[in-house]
Amino acid sequence: MLDSSTIILTLIWGLAIGSIYVLLATGLNLIFGVMKLVNFAHGELLVFGAYIGFSISTALGIDAYTSILFAMGLVALIGVVVERLVFRRVLGDEKLKEIFVSLGLILIFDNAAMLIWGEKSQRIISPFSNSSLKLPGLSIAIPYDLLVAMLLVVFILISLMFLIKRTKIGLAMRATSQNRETSMLMGINVEQVYVITFALGAALAGAAGVLYGMSFNFSPYIGSFPTIKAFAIIILGGLGSIPGAIVGGLLYGLAEQITGTYIGGNWSDAIAFAVLIIVLVFRPKGLFGEREN
Amino acid sequence: MFNTKQIINLTKLRKFQFVLVAIIVSCLLPLILSNQFMIYVLTLMVVFAIYASSWNLLSNSGQGSLGHAAFLGLGGFTYSLLVINLGIPAILAMLIGAIFSAGIGFLIGLTCVRLEAWFLAMVTFGFSVIIVAFVNHFKDITMGVLGFRTPLIVQVGLPLYYFSLLVAILSILSMYFLMKSKIGLAFRAIKENSSEARMIGINTAKYKLYAFVISTFFAGLAGSLYAQVIRHLDFRIFDASNSFEPLMMSVIGGLGTIEGPVIGSILLVSLDSFLPNIDSYLQPLMSPLFPAVSFVGPPIRLIFLGLFLLIVVIFFPNGVTSMIRKFYNYLIKQFRE
Repeated sequence: MLDSSTIILTLIWGLAIGSIYVLLATGLNLIFGVMKLVNFAHGELLVFGAYIGFSISTALGIDAYTSILFAMGLVALIGVVVERLVFRRVLGDEKLKEIFVSLGLILIFDNAAMLIWGEKSQRIISPFSNSSLKLPGLSIAIPYDLLVAMLLVVFILISLMFLIKRTKIGLAMRATSQNRETSMLMGINVEQVYVITFALGAALAGAAGVLYGMSFNFSPYIGSFPTIKAFAIIILGGLGSIPGAIVGGLLYGLAEQITGTYIGGNWSDAIAFAVLIIVLVFRPKGLFGEREN
Repeated sequence: MFNTKQIINLTKLRKFQFVLVAIIVSCLLPLILSNQFMIYVLTLMVVFAIYASSWNLLSNSGQGSLGHAAFLGLGGFTYSLLVINLGIPAILAMLIGAIFSAGIGFLIGLTCVRLEAWFLAMVTFGFSVIIVAFVNHFKDITMGVLGFRTPLIVQVGLPLYYFSLLVAILSILSMYFLMKSKIGLAFRAIKENSSEARMIGINTAKYKLYAFVISTFFAGLAGSLYAQVIRHLDFRIFDASNSFEPLMMSVIGGLGTIEGPVIGSILLVSLDSFLPNIDSYLQPLMSPLFPAVSFVGPPIRLIFLGLFLLIVVIFFPNGVTSMIRKFYNYLIKQFRE
């Protein structure tokens, strides 16, 4: 069981799955950081991304990686509608209300996906689905999909960083996250910033959805687990911190895969949450969160 | 007209009358509707009223749980396994189940009281996931995946209904008096503003822990009744839908009120039980539109439930209870004129 090839393969799977979680968690963290909004229906956007990628790549016959662009665009559109119609009305109110409307959205999204795409579980066929990289000397074969997924996530994160650090809208987002009222006084259209932030977070979830759909089977009702994992990750990494989300996501992916391989599949979710609870016992604000005084 | 004291007495009297009428109606209703299915639905309503009230009590102290099904299930499993394996008298087992659930609630509460609302939601949800893994791991004892037939305290049907009703009345009344007591006052102070509550000398961690333990006690109590109502217990009792149910009932009924969760559970359980009847009409109407699904009824119903929840939270933040209250006051006014 403990031979080197299994270990290496487990680690690579952990990093690849972890990078999908990073994408989801970064979107969630962006929304939280700028809008101070807790969106528990984020995993549902991932499911919609996966289904949109699936439908577009099978209907139009384009390859699965190109369909990521369509998924990002359409899920961002859904995000805009959700932000304007639902979240804007409860923003700045009690935190519990955001959880309540998220639950309503979960019911609506899950069952809408069910009506549109049916109960059958699906999987996106990627162009590299049967080929893998064989390392000389070691008897392991790494699927190309995992490597491409990791590269794509790195690319998306770098573009996101560029957007946040170097563009005007990124500046507006950072300003709003620091102080809403002062940003308004400085002439920033805060509501517009909110719409863009939510759309951006949703687009990241859409991209994560297509990558998720290539590695796992998915069906309409799976959304809540990715959400909860993404929340666990941003709690591990610290709320609102994007580097924290990256570190947390990779750690979480590794922990999940390692327990899955060496302890048993039943336990992989349980162990991950146990780690989360233990972290919160000692650091109530997360690993990188600011300390309470 | 009246002085303040008289008005307070009058509203107290009116409240008392309402409670009395509600209890009498709930006692007589199953005798009129002497139909097996109706009695099952009524029993489920009563059990969920306890469960939703326990969740509501927790939310009254400013905490929210997304994993209350863990405590429902703990109560149900402890009760059933004690009766089956050790032959402990059923009523005693029910009490032990609730106490065990409260004990685990105490341990979880120790970590939770320092957390903010959404961290807390995560930890409780995580706990309900962990517990499923445990139940499936110790399947020699818990028979987790296959499940088993639960033992009964009294016969299914009317006796179980009246027994559950008695437990519900006692539980909800004790929660009511708790909220009226000094402890309840501390809970509400913490909910309004926890740092101000700390400033005036309330030990917030202690009272939050109290709320957690009391809430999980009643959730465990509801769990052993629930196990008897559904008759077949397996790991699905820990499902996320069971965790979200009391939340939706409290929110739709009216958060922070004593009658809210009760009205919410009556509403949602009847929607769950009677609305499937329209599926046979929906099927020929809607299924050409959605060829991918074999049964269009359940998803359509759930979409409307989600919309209903959104509408209540956004437009009627105090729930259905406040609507009824407004309507009642309006009627009284019209009547007087």
